[in-house]
Amino acid sequence: MKYLTEKNNKYLYGYPNWKYKAFFVLVFGFIAILITGFIGLNFGTISIQPQKILSILWHHNTNDSLGIIIWELRIPRLIMAMLAGMTLAGVGGAFQGILRNPLADPYILGVSAGAALGACTGIALQFITGKYLTNILPIFALIGSFISMFLVYFFSKNKSHLPMTDLLLAGVAVNFFFSALITLLLAVSNRELHSMIFWLMGDLSNSSWQKISIIFLPVFAGSFLLIFSSLELNAMALGEEEALHLGIQTEKLRLRIFVIGSVMIAIVVSFTGLIGFVGLVIPHIARLIVGPDHRIMLPVSALIGAIFLILCDTIARTVLAPTEIPIGAITAIIGAPLFIHLLKRRNENNEY
Amino acid sequence: MNYKNKTNKEKNKVIFTCFMFVFVLFIIANITGTAQDNLFPITLIDDSGFKIVINEKPERIISAAPSNTEIIYTLNLEDKLVGRSDFCNYPDETKDIESIGKMSPLNLEKIISLNPDLVLSYGGFQLKDIPRLRDLGINVLVIRSDTIQEMIQGIGLIAHACGIPEKGEELISQINERINWISFQVMASSRQKPKVFVGSNFDSIWSPGNGTLFHELITLAGGENILGNQQGWVSISPELVAEREPDIILVPTGIMNPEEISKIKKDIMSHPGWSNIPAIKNNQIFAVNEDLFYRAGPRLVDGLELLYEIFNRKK
Amino acid sequence: MNTKEPTITLKDISFSYEKTPLLQDINLSVFSGEFIGIIGPNGSGKTTLLKLISGVLEPQRGKILIFNKDITNIPRKKLAKIISVVPQESHVAYNYKAKEVVFMGRIPHITQWQGETLLDYQISQNAMKKTDSLCHAEKGIHQISGGEMQRIYIARALAQTPKILMLDEFASHLDLNYKYEMIKILRNTLQEDVKCIISVFHDLNLASFCADRLILLNKGKVEISGTPQEVINNNNLRKVYRSHAHIIQHPELAIPQVIM
Repeated sequence: MKYLTEKNNKYLYGYPNWKYKAFFVLVFGFIAILITGFIGLNFGTISIQPQKILSILWHHNTNDSLGIIIWELRIPRLIMAMLAGMTLAGVGGAFQGILRNPLADPYILGVSAGAALGACTGIALQFITGKYLTNILPIFALIGSFISMFLVYFFSKNKSHLPMTDLLLAGVAVNFFFSALITLLLAVSNRELHSMIFWLMGDLSNSSWQKISIIFLPVFAGSFLLIFSSLELNAMALGEEEALHLGIQTEKLRLRIFVIGSVMIAIVVSFTGLIGFVGLVIPHIARLIVGPDHRIMLPVSALIGAIFLILCDTIARTVLAPTEIPIGAITAIIGAPLFIHLLKRRNENNEY
Repeated sequence: MNYKNKTNKEKNKVIFTCFMFVFVLFIIANITGTAQDNLFPITLIDDSGFKIVINEKPERIISAAPSNTEIIYTLNLEDKLVGRSDFCNYPDETKDIESIGKMSPLNLEKIISLNPDLVLSYGGFQLKDIPRLRDLGINVLVIRSDTIQEMIQGIGLIAHACGIPEKGEELISQINERINWISFQVMASSRQKPKVFVGSNFDSIWSPGNGTLFHELITLAGGENILGNQQGWVSISPELVAEREPDIILVPTGIMNPEEISKIKKDIMSHPGWSNIPAIKNNQIFAVNEDLFYRAGPRLVDGLELLYEIFNRKK
Repeated sequence: MNTKEPTITLKDISFSYEKTPLLQDINLSVFSGEFIGIIGPNGSGKTTLLKLISGVLEPQRGKILIFNKDITNIPRKKLAKIISVVPQESHVAYNYKAKEVVFMGRIPHITQWQGETLLDYQISQNAMKKTDSLCHAEKGIHQISGGEMQRIYIARALAQTPKILMLDEFASHLDLNYKYEMIKILRNTLQEDVKCIISVFHDLNLASFCADRLILLNKGKVEISGTPQEVINNNNLRKVYRSHAHIIQHPELAIPQVIM
């Protein structure tokens, strides 16, 4: 009864007005991204002074080589990192919600293995035919990812149902199978090995404004659609039956989240290669900060993912300059210990 | 009075003749000058099938591969070289040129900051970075070099792109002369071709088969590659080597000091299962500078001549 | 208000899972104002029956009518506004706060666009107040014990403002005093918006205490349906439960109680 007296009328007895919270979070997140992006701009093989960077940004200067480096190399790369981070973390959060499994990551439903096989096949063909195929490698990757997605859907479908465990199992099986094919391809390749491994570990070095224009719309449209399903994802956390009792059409919801998320991931991965751990770890961090309500957690996850990947990309470009480390290695090196730390925290707090 | 007029007239004539002379010289100089500049703009198709338009003679060149760097030096274009890859180590002067990092992936920031007029790539892993450079307005020439002929064509391509086609022709004909001499000797010779195996001083044996530069050089120099029936670089088992019984074993290495060479020889001699191979029984194991055989530059001919000498050594 | 038209009707319902028949030829009606108890031994199909009525499972044969409309014609979201279910056991995947879990009961009434209103918060809070779980409102659901959890689930079901309330063993972890409180609260809802309550019981005495009418299931069929006095007698106990327990009369109320 004492609890009743501590209240703010506007928010009514401690219930959050999530719209205000979300707005504040989005504004704060946007500013954070801008700041992180600017920090990232300061790093690279060639050192450019912050004042010079600001002047290049302000005057949109692309005349001299410094201006080209900023506008044509660093900025597209940072934007690509932001978009990839948003997608991976956002879809990761959505998948963890729909599958009720905190170990789910965006690749769990088979998208990544197909994209990887497609890209590696493209690289192998490039050396066999001698034709120069780098510009259409994303298409190979996209086709590959659609094939694996379709296989996962096909194997887990049971009449008109799409049961949860079957989805997970089919995803695991398809991932294993395609990974085996990729290993085979790697084993018989010789000169292409280097390119393939670089692709498999994530590679943002080829970012360009043209690529950004292609993935910009699907990423934002998909993100909105996912966030729109937040209430339903909340209900799913209670359990399959409970969600049904709350009026959620769980089959359709699963299909919707699966398709939207996988398409977003397929498109991004086709251009960036496989970047791991972001989709797995960042949603947990978001949950720690703002709680599991998907209406706030998904946007926050996307924002943190964007910032995280911008920072990782900056590290990848700078630490061993002029050599570049694949960004997947950085996310794994940072992500794995972070994940273990989160795990221990959960155990200490006696959470599941 | 008349005398004065006559002298004035003659003076004028002289002045006029001088003037005409200078004028003609001026025109001749300009014609020959523009004869040089008339080479540009020039349109070329490089080894990736890409059409390039070079508007002016390149003054700042970056070489992204050791083979291209060596060609630049052989063509005496080294004063225009402003950047080179980490692996470009010949000749010694290259260490004074700024490095652009590893060969793959290309460090675009570094390349752009050096403001090049022309970038020379070898293709391969660099192909994926080249469209970005071209989009940013930088001329990139891809020089493929999987065969000696391609290397020679590469020399011609670079020479044309840099506005010195005659120097290119000159270098090419020198190279062809040396190669033709060896071919002729090999053809004229009646001795049996020695069986050659290219080994390595590492555990896993990758050896060149048909389609590689090394194989081509061996064949040209009058040897028979025991892996001639395989394609490309192959990983082979030691048993195969024992079975094929090569007469000569070549071991390419990057370190050419005496200790390394004798260590290599010892390792090969003591390789298990090879004691019956003619090359080992007759001590025909040779450590060779790998740069002469892996790098598709003018030193390939040096390598060819070295092989010819090895194959024709009096036992 | 008792009307002649039943709130819920089941006509010739048969359900089997894979090839095993679980329920056969079920016919029953529930009228407005009734508290129905479903009892029977393990495996008799009690929970299955509940799932059929709440729309989670689809019968192979037969029809289910809710307010005289075929349940298959009612869209799921609309059904959720009418029927709410308190599960026997449930595991929440993520550590939502207790008040958030209760608030999810409002989801059928909220559209994503408009979002929730003050009224929704008030309803949630009232539901928590009724079940005496307000003090746990800010706790994470994973830190809450079984008994508190059950009250929170009941609160959630109440927050859903249903016309039909269904429960599966709602009292198994509750302390004695809470058992009584919950029954009182449930009965009170019958005076308000809830038209009828259906609950599955393992505890025959509780069933006898709560329900106006009992439905005894035996191997997937309705053995008998009637008042506790009619249903809980030695014959039925022996036949269905194969038990020789004693039946006594409750000292204050006119209901049968079973003792070992």
